[in-house]
Amino acid sequence: MSQTGNILVIGAGIAGMKASLMLAGASSKVYLVEKLPIIGGKVIKNEESFPNLECSTCMVAPIQQDVLQNPNIETLTYSVVEKIEGSAGDFSVVIRKRARYISLTDCIGCGMCYEPCPVSLKNEWEENLIDRKAIYVPCSGSLPNVPVIDSEHCLRIGGGEDCSLCAEACAFEAINLDDSDEIIEVNVGAVILATGSATFDLSSIPDLGYGTLPGVYAPMEFERLFASNGPTLGEITLRDSEKIPESVAIIHCVGRREQKYCSAVCCMYSFKFARFLKHKIPSVRVFNIYSDICVPGKSYQSFYRSVEGADTEMLYTSSIGDVSVSESGSGLKVSYPDAAVSPQSLNVDMVILAAALVADPDVAQLAEVAGVDLDPQGFIKTVLDGSGSMETSREGVFVAGTAEGPKDIQNSVVQAESAAGQVAEIMTSQASSS
Amino acid sequence: MKEFEMQESGQDRKLRAKVGVYICECGPNIAGKVDLDRIITDISELDDYQDVELVVKKYGFLCSAPGKEYLEEEINSNGFTHLVIGACSPRDHDSTFMGVCKKTDLNPYLYRIINIREHCSWVIDDKEKATVKAESYIRGGIARVLRQSELFEKPLDINPDVLIIGGGVAGMEAALSLSSDDRRVFLVEKTDRLGGVSIDLSGILPGQGEVIGKKIESVLGNGNIRVFLNTRVENVIGFLGNFEIELLSEENTEITEIMSGAIVVAAGGTLFDPRESDRYSYSGSDEVYTSLSIEKMFAGDDGAVLRSGKQPSSVALIHCVGREEKNYCSGICCSYMMKLACFFKKQSADIQVTEFYRDICLPKKNDQERFSEAQAAGVALIRIKDISLKGTNVSFERISGDKDKQSFDMVVLAPALEPSADTEYFADLLTVPLDEFGFFQEVHKMTNPVGTATDGVFIVGAAHGPKGVSDSMQFARASAGQILTRLIPGEKLIPEVAVTEISEAYCTGCGNCLEVCVYGAIYSDDSRGISVVNEAVCRGCGNCFGSCPSGALRTKHFTNTQLYREVDEALR
Repeated sequence: MSQTGNILVIGAGIAGMKASLMLAGASSKVYLVEKLPIIGGKVIKNEESFPNLECSTCMVAPIQQDVLQNPNIETLTYSVVEKIEGSAGDFSVVIRKRARYISLTDCIGCGMCYEPCPVSLKNEWEENLIDRKAIYVPCSGSLPNVPVIDSEHCLRIGGGEDCSLCAEACAFEAINLDDSDEIIEVNVGAVILATGSATFDLSSIPDLGYGTLPGVYAPMEFERLFASNGPTLGEITLRDSEKIPESVAIIHCVGRREQKYCSAVCCMYSFKFARFLKHKIPSVRVFNIYSDICVPGKSYQSFYRSVEGADTEMLYTSSIGDVSVSESGSGLKVSYPDAAVSPQSLNVDMVILAAALVADPDVAQLAEVAGVDLDPQGFIKTVLDGSGSMETSREGVFVAGTAEGPKDIQNSVVQAESAAGQVAEIMTSQASSS
Repeated sequence: MKEFEMQESGQDRKLRAKVGVYICECGPNIAGKVDLDRIITDISELDDYQDVELVVKKYGFLCSAPGKEYLEEEINSNGFTHLVIGACSPRDHDSTFMGVCKKTDLNPYLYRIINIREHCSWVIDDKEKATVKAESYIRGGIARVLRQSELFEKPLDINPDVLIIGGGVAGMEAALSLSSDDRRVFLVEKTDRLGGVSIDLSGILPGQGEVIGKKIESVLGNGNIRVFLNTRVENVIGFLGNFEIELLSEENTEITEIMSGAIVVAAGGTLFDPRESDRYSYSGSDEVYTSLSIEKMFAGDDGAVLRSGKQPSSVALIHCVGREEKNYCSGICCSYMMKLACFFKKQSADIQVTEFYRDICLPKKNDQERFSEAQAAGVALIRIKDISLKGTNVSFERISGDKDKQSFDMVVLAPALEPSADTEYFADLLTVPLDEFGFFQEVHKMTNPVGTATDGVFIVGAAHGPKGVSDSMQFARASAGQILTRLIPGEKLIPEVAVTEISEAYCTGCGNCLEVCVYGAIYSDDSRGISVVNEAVCRGCGNCFGSCPSGALRTKHFTNTQLYREVDEALR
């Protein structure tokens, strides 16, 4: 059996980056594959992370830089893994490096190419709250700071028209409109799956008005609304009227009943939102509508206590699954049963739904490629559940972070460190036995 | 290069230096907003320095592959003694140009990057102003680089072995993950057995008892793990890669000396004592029990019975005992209380089981099943605002505000998990700070939760914060991950180069610097009456530098002279 010290890490969020850096530091060659054109994962969408409200970018940017500058890490952005064949110690991996159309080495990220692009589209990374061009970086501060062309919507590549305005605007000849996908084959000894999670599909509960009532927001939308590099440059305004909300209701546990688990992070981000709102709009009234407060661990309850009363009023409902949102005049009406199970209602300008973390819709496809089992909730299953081992049902393939289940940043990092340790362990034993 | 000697404190001496000043155009990013040709002319004509030759050039993209090759060639062919790069933020390319220097004879600490992009061309619209600012920055850079000294990496041999403090489930997990033929593990346990609290917990994991039993067997049967029972850690000195440890055995009161490269603290936690609050009227001698003592009963043959030996006909399970007093939620009690409720129901379906809870906290993806199981088993769940006990009589206020009373045969309390009594001892011994709750403080809550201020010392399990068996094992494996990827047998460690040094002549031994050093890198040399820096531990943060009243401290690469010269010249 040919043995290799190379490692494949899929997903360049906090868990994937952390595991890659550790293994690269131990002299392994790491292929870090990320489906988006940028690295950093979900954490960089949050301006500040709980419980310390630390600047997320300041926390993650050095990690991103370390990843991009590490000579042992080959970061393949805008790429997907198509095949993982073979067995532990000797996997053959096929990676499709999608055409980016912009040279990562020649482009300096000056941004001169966006302006002339005549195409206007919704920016998915910004939760569709702002437009982007067909050539774009998802957000300011993207790393690598190199744009990508959305080939499907590009007039020339997708539409066959004779447009090369972006290439003409580029002073560095970094744009190659004839770029094509590249297939890369690598040999690795172990694989870490760190592809993260998604947010519960809010439109599946029509009573909450998401998608039909413009004042109702998903949590990540609100994160971007608050972010100073976001679509409103950090100004919290309602999406239809650009009005500053005077009252906001945050509804907890959205999707908990459907998913049959507690995501353990929603209470904390809801309290964080209350703090954000009060910080930017001192006169705002914030209501957290909840059934249970889940603030596990040593650091969380004290944050909750500092927010409770000061930044938000806490409204208990006897049945969080029976809260509904409807239109009321120019605002919204939130209806809920109170502690005595009597119906109550509340008029607000804005509603934020604290949605559960769920398995990423792409994970089923990944599981098939990686040959690993999923658990009943759709996350990647570990074989020795509860033992701290990150090994999946396929030997030599490990999982870390929210791909394994909902969790906070701390626990994602701890899992990444565990997975890196398990990979290092088998690499060492292979090296000494060969 | 060798003929140039820098003197830190003296006046300007005759310096024989050849400084390369290379300005990156960054395409139009810098060249478009700053008049580089003027800067090149001005800098080339500087006559401020005697015996300093300046070579000033510009280049399209210094960070590109051809740019780096060009720079390397220029350093070699010109024989520069110093190098100044006018380009972008050091966060972007400091390491890039350091890397170029490392390929040449130029010591990388005799190079300086000056940010004329983010600080000048990108933020100043007026080309004249941007040019003036960029030029003054570059002049400052030249002044500074001439004051910089060569610094050298000093690779250290490492010992890959690991000391683990605590033989509970976290300590055993770390030991099993770390031990191998080229890495020995010393597992030190203060009691006479391995297993810690987990031995008393039934049913937390499927086949729990068996799992723990097997783990103990694996540890004891592992030739690369040496177990010390009834032993305490008496003394520790050293740093990542090289710790010297003294162990004291209770039995023969003999000191055993061992060496290790890392230390994992798995000293565990303990339960909040309900006696600390009068609301529970807990005595430990009536029918009010802690969850742990009930766990022990269920693990035994008779199940959970009253002191009389009789089966209880009603049981109250009270959550969140100590949560308000400690100001944290332990995160595990709801889950195990649901489990205990089901155990009572399983023991006898006739037992009337009531749980009094404030919030349901079930943070793991599989925990919710516990709740459903308890509901299905007919457990009564009462959400409360407040509660107090008189013996087994429970007075409570429902969430609706209604007040009520109920009497039970047996009451089970779920006390918060708190730091074990040894925590302060180990914090002192290992120079690891404690957090506001008395647990060990991690380096960073999110990005490095198992690391501590003393690099090489890791905290896992309930010593880090309240957590259950599963998370304890997870944290243990995380510490193993850090050690396995950083302390590799046969490889060397390269400590920080830009460390602080203390002048023996100026130091008065006041000890201010010891107080502010978060890494425990400074110690007091009592025989000489001064403070001394351990360069292997120092990270060059500069905290101590500001605390010294007598100017005895100097952080290499960030000296006063270097900083003042740069600022003076930039403002001239």
